[in-house]
Amino acid sequence: MSRMRQIEDIYNRRGEHARKLHEAGEKVIGYFCCFVPDEIITALGMVPYRIQGSQSEPIDEADVLLEPMACPFARSCFNMALKGEYEFLDGFVVPHSCDTVERLYHIWHTNKPSPFNHLINVPHMLGPSSDEFFKNELLYFTKRLEEFAGRKLEVEKLKEAIRLYNRRRALLRELYGLRRESPPRISGVEITKTLVAGMGIPAAEHIDLISGLIEEVKKRPVVPPDGLPRIFLWGNEIDDISFINLVEECGAHVVMDDLCTGSRFFWQDVEETEDPFDGLVRRYLDIHCPRTLKPQAGAREEDLENRFGYIHSFMKEWQAAAAIFYIVRYCDTCELEGPDLKEYLNGLDLPVLMIEDDYSTSTMGQLRTRIQAFLEMII
Amino acid sequence: MPFAGIDIGSTMTKVVIVDDEGKILASHIGPTGAEHRHLALKVMDETLKEARLSLDELDFIVATGYGRINVPFADRQITEITCHARGIRALFPEAKIIIDIGGQDSKGIKLDAQGKVANFVMNDKCAAGTGRFLEVIAETLGIRLEDMGGISLGADGFVQISNMCTVFAEHEVTSRLAEGAGVPEIVAGLHEAIAGRVVNMTRHLGIEKEVVVTGGGAKNIGLLKAIEGKVGFEVLTPPEPFITGALGAALVGMDFYDRGVRPAKERKKEDVTFFS
Amino acid sequence: MEQARQEKTTAVKGTDTAREIRGLVKNIYKSAHEAKAGGRKIAYFMVASQYDEIVRAMDVVPLPTENYAGLCAAKRDMDRFLLKAEADGYSQVLCSYARIGLGFDAMRQELGQIPEASPDGGMPAPDMMLGSSAVCDPRFKWYQAARRYLDVPTFGMDVVFPPPQADLNEVRDYYIRYQRDQFQGLVDFLEVQTGKKMDYEKLWECIRLGDKAWQLWYDIDRLRVAIPCPMPSQDHFSIMVPGHYYAGTQVAVDFYQKLYDEVKYKADNKIGVVADEKYRILYGGGLPPWHTLWIFNYFESFGAVFVIENVYRGFDPVEVPSHVQDPIDYLAWRAFLRYTAYHDKARANSGIPTVEKLLEMIEDYNIDGVVFHACRSCRATTIGQVHMKNELGKYSDLPMIQLVSDMVDLRDYSEAQWKAQIGAFIEALQARERD
Repeated sequence: MSRMRQIEDIYNRRGEHARKLHEAGEKVIGYFCCFVPDEIITALGMVPYRIQGSQSEPIDEADVLLEPMACPFARSCFNMALKGEYEFLDGFVVPHSCDTVERLYHIWHTNKPSPFNHLINVPHMLGPSSDEFFKNELLYFTKRLEEFAGRKLEVEKLKEAIRLYNRRRALLRELYGLRRESPPRISGVEITKTLVAGMGIPAAEHIDLISGLIEEVKKRPVVPPDGLPRIFLWGNEIDDISFINLVEECGAHVVMDDLCTGSRFFWQDVEETEDPFDGLVRRYLDIHCPRTLKPQAGAREEDLENRFGYIHSFMKEWQAAAAIFYIVRYCDTCELEGPDLKEYLNGLDLPVLMIEDDYSTSTMGQLRTRIQAFLEMII
Repeated sequence: MPFAGIDIGSTMTKVVIVDDEGKILASHIGPTGAEHRHLALKVMDETLKEARLSLDELDFIVATGYGRINVPFADRQITEITCHARGIRALFPEAKIIIDIGGQDSKGIKLDAQGKVANFVMNDKCAAGTGRFLEVIAETLGIRLEDMGGISLGADGFVQISNMCTVFAEHEVTSRLAEGAGVPEIVAGLHEAIAGRVVNMTRHLGIEKEVVVTGGGAKNIGLLKAIEGKVGFEVLTPPEPFITGALGAALVGMDFYDRGVRPAKERKKEDVTFFS
Repeated sequence: MEQARQEKTTAVKGTDTAREIRGLVKNIYKSAHEAKAGGRKIAYFMVASQYDEIVRAMDVVPLPTENYAGLCAAKRDMDRFLLKAEADGYSQVLCSYARIGLGFDAMRQELGQIPEASPDGGMPAPDMMLGSSAVCDPRFKWYQAARRYLDVPTFGMDVVFPPPQADLNEVRDYYIRYQRDQFQGLVDFLEVQTGKKMDYEKLWECIRLGDKAWQLWYDIDRLRVAIPCPMPSQDHFSIMVPGHYYAGTQVAVDFYQKLYDEVKYKADNKIGVVADEKYRILYGGGLPPWHTLWIFNYFESFGAVFVIENVYRGFDPVEVPSHVQDPIDYLAWRAFLRYTAYHDKARANSGIPTVEKLLEMIEDYNIDGVVFHACRSCRATTIGQVHMKNELGKYSDLPMIQLVSDMVDLRDYSEAQWKAQIGAFIEALQARERD
């Protein structure tokens, strides 16, 4: 079976692999967002599992316990848990990335506790004191996890895990490199499947899949440029192909992204520092997420450049002509960040379509017109 | 060298055929219904009859509107944003902002100096700010939708409707009636509410003259007055607001043809009879 | 020309002292205008960020943007600001305080002056903005976004506390250290902005005044256990102003002393809010419906008086260990102790600190029913409310309801629906009374 087919299989039956591991006696530690170091979990011999939602399942049970005016992604994940789809989680770890996920931790923990549950506070501000604080939070998390694992964390194992995940990151960057071509050698839909598949399986297996996939893609016949618009995608949680599929169906290539399910979670490596926790702290705190406040750097223009310059670079290197923002509704941090990013990109003559959506496949019809009109506008 | 545009809206299907200079040869409006493919062809046939043409004589057909992906005989499907812009640009070369108030959605479109779409906003998530809002309330008040404009012109001031949710607004209207408010004042209040919603949505684009209001909303004189009150100047309306999308679609087809694009294959007329 | 319905939307207060608040609120904005004219620094300021005394000690005049939004709502002049923010690309589901604030800043920038007829003279453009992560995310993202209209120095301060499951003995030190460093960062920033060094003796003085005010406020609330209740919740929403906008000044101490005397008199002489106090209600949480505070009087028409609330006086006085000698350390300790006050109780019982607090209130204040208010645009105070209600329900069988609207955006409010819900709630209270 081709690697892409294997990936599709895992994507379509997410959770299944982790469930099997759990049944075989492995400890599966579920978590949200980008701020929980997979490396620590892996180094303690457990399997990290990034919790996803389900865009096609309506949210029903969660509404009794969680207000509907909350992030629909979070609600969807919780809904799945209430329906028993996350019974295979031995651990439930939540970083305090945003208000909703923090509050969800308490509600989920009361109603569907795993054997191990932990909330990691993540500084919203950056600076030396934040580094120290986060390091202490990670050490405390490690201590609690050690108790659960029944073993102490070995520094060498942690360093090994860091190298392992860096290897995965490098491969994902290589895979993304194949999107720079015209037309991109791999579609946005395929990339999404590849990333989401990796959320639920051990890193070593994912590395194997990605390496194989890269070889496969390189062997694909070269296609001449088609002139379709190249789109950069910014936003938060996209763990379903339906939106990206819609964009590509409307006649565009999604060539690059800054999503928490995309480049945001893997782009930077962890520096191999003497004390591995220092490397982890630096790398995880430097993640470009709107929930982290970048200290003001000068006047407005300079500040915007400091905050978003990396996006401009991405767009230049991947030759993206326009950006689409896909914001899951009720995400305060993205909703406050979006207009600033839009201003920055418009200032560089890069058109932006800002979409606020409900994390559900049922709204795709309405989005089609918006996306298509935008593509018609930028040609 | 005639070109045709077909606009399949939620309630009405509109067809316009233009000549090679963009002048309207014929146009027709029919109900959309559930089987749009079948009815699309029916409205097309009526228009062709009026223009004394056959389907094969059309050099380019563009479909737009909500049902645009279900038109097998169209050569291209283009969004109503681009088509309305194109249609209005032909009718009003000075147009800078277009406000389209339809049955189920409303849009704001900004045109650049060349008349191309520079930006747009859409409200398609809820009924408030659309014809549907008025339709629902018209029923509650026991009056006809098409009479609302005239009725509101006779109002002495207006009753503030603060709820933008159609369901809540319905409640509010009922309460106001019970308290003795007059129907003209309530209708005027509804027009204020929609105008407020739609103009505010459009402010996102930066409002400047000339502003053209199109779609079903353009036939409501009370709503137009309310919009003018909010933007602070008179607005323009096309003589036939229902067909600007289809007209624009036909002109977009003309533009494709002029650029050398040709229909890809034989027009699929046969598929459609499957639904009769 | 509009035929608006003539209806009272503000509340009738229970105490006389509460009436003085109007003047104090006006003074907040008046002081800001005067400071600006006189060359003193003014700063956009977030309520309940634990940094009040630092700002006061540096002689910076605070401009509380959330309060301003509430004020606009109370005066029913918030629509133009909300609409402006939305027209500028801010989502309708975003915190309505932020939308009003951003809309106001946008209009001020566009007009080159304060928007005409702004409530209480409007907010002058600040010299700096002081965001914080206490309570919610928009409280530091908002000011970053506001730089679109106000290109001034902006600072974000972190406020952290451990979850109830954490072992406080293990984490206390580094949490307090981080908090201390965050406070110090604010001091450093203000020193640069004002060109002055922090006077630590003055800071201690402000802290003492702040603590004294909050002690008095606590004492006042303790008086409300009296039957009949001498001060209702609608007063609380007014009298929270000194505690939150004048903390660290003598004004707050004087006000609460005066209020204490009045409430004590009422308690001693059994003077209640209504003639016949039938039901004692706990306002369990959520920002108040600033747009329609009159709803409390509506409850009173059924004999239901709101006797206590879990909103603005979020913390009881705490005792910082005497070995803490440095004022910045003190503030860090105080914040930590305030936030973890119910952690031990939670670990021993429900697992949720707020539930423990509410259970205490239910007992101390002889509560008959609990009302929560969910604000559609405030995720911070709303997410988890249903959970709170559910969990509280496991430990108490009192009738409880959750009313939904928004703290300032009127489009989310349906009076008809509220009256229906309240009617059912009163019936539940009546049924209990009979049994």
